[in-house]
Amino acid sequence: MGVGLRIARESYQITSVNRSEVLRYLGHSGQSLSAELDERIEAVTQRCLYMARPRATMASFAVEEIGPDAVVLTGCALRLTGHDITQHLASAHEVVLFAATLGADIDRELRRLSLTDALEQVIFDAVATALIEKTADAANAHVRAYAAEQGAFTSWRFSPGYGDLPLSVQPMLLASLDATRQLGITLTPSHLMVPTKSVTAIVGIHPTPQPGLESSCSICSLAEFCSIRTTGRTCRG
Amino acid sequence: MDNPTQTPATPLGHQAARTPRTRDEHLARVLAGTDFLLFDGAMGTQLQARGLAAGEIPELLCLTNPAEITEIHAAYVEAGSQVVTTNTFGANRTKLGDAATVEQIFSAAITCARASGARYVAADIGPTGALLEPMGTLSFDEAYELFAEQVRAAHAAGADLFIIETMADIAEAKAALLAAKENSDLPVFVTMTFDEDGRTFLGTTPEVAAVTLSSLGADVVGINCSLGPSDVAPLVKRMLPWASCPVMVQANAGLPHVEDGRTLYSIEPEEYCEAVADMLDAGVTVIGGCCGTSPAFIAGERALLEGRTPAPRTISTDFAVTSAQHLTAIPAGHVGVIGERINPTGKKLLKQALRSGNHDYVLGEAINQTRAGAQILDVNAGLPEIDERATLVRLVSELQGVTTLPLQIDSTDPLAIEDAVRLYPGKPIINSVNGKRESLETVLPIAKHYGCAIVGLTLDEEGIPTTAQGRLDVAQRIVDACDELGIPRQDIAIDCLAMAASTDQSAPRAILDGIALVKRELPGVRCVLGVSNISFGLPFRPLVNATFLAAAFAAGLDLAIVNPMSERLMDVVNSWRVLSGEDESAQDYVAAYAGRKDTPSGAPSGVTYDTSSSEGISAALASIAGTLQEIASGMGKAPSAGSAPAKAAASTPASTDATPEGHVHELVLAGRKDPVPEAVRVILADTDPAHDAMYVINEVLIPALDEVGARFEKGTFFLPQLMASAEAAKAGFSVLRDAADTSDVPSKGKIVLATVKGDIHDIGKNIVRMLLENYGYDVIDLGRDVDPQVVADCVVEQHVELAGLSALMTTTVPAMSETIELLHEQAPWCKVMVGGAVLNPEYAQMVGADYYAKDANESAHIATEVLG
Repeated sequence: MGVGLRIARESYQITSVNRSEVLRYLGHSGQSLSAELDERIEAVTQRCLYMARPRATMASFAVEEIGPDAVVLTGCALRLTGHDITQHLASAHEVVLFAATLGADIDRELRRLSLTDALEQVIFDAVATALIEKTADAANAHVRAYAAEQGAFTSWRFSPGYGDLPLSVQPMLLASLDATRQLGITLTPSHLMVPTKSVTAIVGIHPTPQPGLESSCSICSLAEFCSIRTTGRTCRG
Repeated sequence: MDNPTQTPATPLGHQAARTPRTRDEHLARVLAGTDFLLFDGAMGTQLQARGLAAGEIPELLCLTNPAEITEIHAAYVEAGSQVVTTNTFGANRTKLGDAATVEQIFSAAITCARASGARYVAADIGPTGALLEPMGTLSFDEAYELFAEQVRAAHAAGADLFIIETMADIAEAKAALLAAKENSDLPVFVTMTFDEDGRTFLGTTPEVAAVTLSSLGADVVGINCSLGPSDVAPLVKRMLPWASCPVMVQANAGLPHVEDGRTLYSIEPEEYCEAVADMLDAGVTVIGGCCGTSPAFIAGERALLEGRTPAPRTISTDFAVTSAQHLTAIPAGHVGVIGERINPTGKKLLKQALRSGNHDYVLGEAINQTRAGAQILDVNAGLPEIDERATLVRLVSELQGVTTLPLQIDSTDPLAIEDAVRLYPGKPIINSVNGKRESLETVLPIAKHYGCAIVGLTLDEEGIPTTAQGRLDVAQRIVDACDELGIPRQDIAIDCLAMAASTDQSAPRAILDGIALVKRELPGVRCVLGVSNISFGLPFRPLVNATFLAAAFAAGLDLAIVNPMSERLMDVVNSWRVLSGEDESAQDYVAAYAGRKDTPSGAPSGVTYDTSSSEGISAALASIAGTLQEIASGMGKAPSAGSAPAKAAASTPASTDATPEGHVHELVLAGRKDPVPEAVRVILADTDPAHDAMYVINEVLIPALDEVGARFEKGTFFLPQLMASAEAAKAGFSVLRDAADTSDVPSKGKIVLATVKGDIHDIGKNIVRMLLENYGYDVIDLGRDVDPQVVADCVVEQHVELAGLSALMTTTVPAMSETIELLHEQAPWCKVMVGGAVLNPEYAQMVGADYYAKDANESAHIATEVLG
């Protein structure tokens, strides 16, 4: 049993996004890029990095019960329902919830571009998508380090909407993290988050290594944010 | 704003100055700023310490566990709290769901609070948890209704005051404050929460919050939550000079962390109170605590207040207006520029933009004026043939997407004014009221109720006085009426009304003397002037305007309503700021003008052309052709954001194709927009009379786009390339539109586009719009999160034959199906195409669509099939 994790608000300094990932979001498959387009993508990338405020809030809860179709947590009103999340957390003794966001300035810029420049809106959106994924990786690295401290292992981050975990858990998930107050994340009636470049996730903490664990640090997307290696160990034990 | 039609909750003719009902003399002194008030500390932290599970609705404990809630309140009262705050932070209809009604919670919560023996019970109102339009989907009216329900419940249950707190969105704070003011006569305290960078999550600064909320009639404004008190102190000090009411602070006890399974906060009471003492010294008079604070903190604060008297404050008398993110403040003796360009009077392109509902041109004018140095933008949507109320509201919303400058709402229709200022998330200017009794009686109460600044025109039932004294007399009546309603002097800007010097050469003197008289006889009041009328009927009007503007500044003019893109006028403004001492040490002037030389006489550069005068009589027939050419070339050269026109132009010759047509074709394929306008003009300049706008469209631009489409389908182009080509073609189209009479460029038909209700992803729809416009279709873009009935109404009213709907989430596909069903029922002639990430041909058929567009290019094919 862990000592408990609660980080109300953590900021991440992220100074780059993976260019090939941005191009992939843009539907690129090897077409030759003109210098103009290339410069424009670079300029938009820099602007997005400058405007974004990548942040996360997280909290851990002990697993009270894993039923056939729901996970019950201690001291948390959130019920994680569905077959997939139950399977995913089957061997977990603790669960970390987190929410991450790039902040409202990104949405404001997307709106400005939607009124003024459709092409840059598309590019900006792709860059912001890559950036929020990276922010979620940064938060996940935090969780993994927390697990490693206890000699435990994490499962990959699972978000509402994956498998049969419904989006309708979002209100309770955000409330459990006080995410509106901490990060300004709000929900629409159809459970979409605003700011739109936001992620919520559930990470299990397990006594044994979990599937999906990278075989080496060199291919790990969390490597840039990893604090385990500085201790001379890895999350693989 | 997809659905701007709304009716204000209150009719015209609000009660005059609102005096809140206070429970006792002490509370009245608090509101006057002459006494202190001590609130309580955290409720949530105390509940969690008692085992409240994360995510649970804490407000329900008022019903299930009232004794425990009263116990928490009582501990604060014992520590010295004069006010306890009800456990109702999230008690709105959407958050409570089926668990309890708003009335039940407020009634129980106020009973719990009363039972503590507190002197005052504050009804707590927190944010709705949803974001307002345009970034979110909650409409202002929906938010207002959620708050109004809470206000009515709390009022009925016997609260003493309202505390609206932890607001991050100034629009939401405004909705809550209006709901409180319009449904109760109790005092309203409003606090917002700020981030480390000194802005709320939505970008509002402390200054903007203070000006906007105190003008709107909050009885106390301030900061809560956010950060620890030493981080809040500098923010509240920024707020103090701008709040015309008492200021309060309820900071956090730092940030939470977990130690041995317990949540602890980083700041102890002693350190906390040191920082609070600093804020009391600065002029704060209402204190308490937020997350992480406990009775020990309140006891410390009570000790701080012993024997202390409120510190003196200096409150700004600047002319101050705000947008949600920006404060424009003009101190006495300084001058300000109000951009006049968004006004259809005498502007063909603007009229056309307002009629068509395609506001790109209007937004472009806003962007250009912002860049040119305007500090406020005037917005006028007064065209007889359009719905001014709806258009004004939509424009005001869209303009906030492209500029942070505060707006001046310009209309002669009080209903349109009220619609716009009610929704506007800031403190706007109303343009205008005049000396007529009817105007004073209808417009001024709106300005007072919504805390707006006001332009007062010196005209009345008798017309415009010809003398300076006559103008002063009307101004005096306007100012008297404002004084009576409690509209502060610094919020009044008198317009002495410029008249054409060409018809009455005594007019300029009367106007200038009028300005001087008003400034002298009505202390505190400002003068504003729409300058360009002075030159009506004269050639080379910008020169006359500039000379008059300089004279008006010397006479005491504070705010000039001008075209900020006129370099000549901005030269006057910038140089006057040196002469008046506003530009200290001439720093800005030197930075902008060092090394500059006059252009040779007789050759004014394109930018100094005042296009607003192009339809005046000065546009002599003989020079029309040349003028249009000049305007067109000026527009073509206007640099767009992030582009490098000089570089692009330099590389043009190398890529020149054998024919001008081939050159344009190549530029479109390469997605290079900057050289396109010039290249299109080369074709138009050809001596062959057949080389007109239609020729360029049908023989050059469309074939180029077709080839781009073919390449996209084959996969040799990817999406950004398709879009860059579309942009390049668009640059060509706008040259044709500017150069030719628009009736020469026929539309190929109307298409309505919308992202369906509940969905806020509009990128795919925007790509489709861009492409369809380039193929010559009139696209009516209804935006995102669009109600099915709005789509159907638009299709029916304009008899549209093709509608495009997009949805990105599986959860919003039912809304798509509903929209299609409604369209087929109410507009059976209209074909529907659908697209979006979650759709495929089978799914599209299932929801009842006529066509499935797998991408933007496919939508162009469908449009050709349906509309030709």
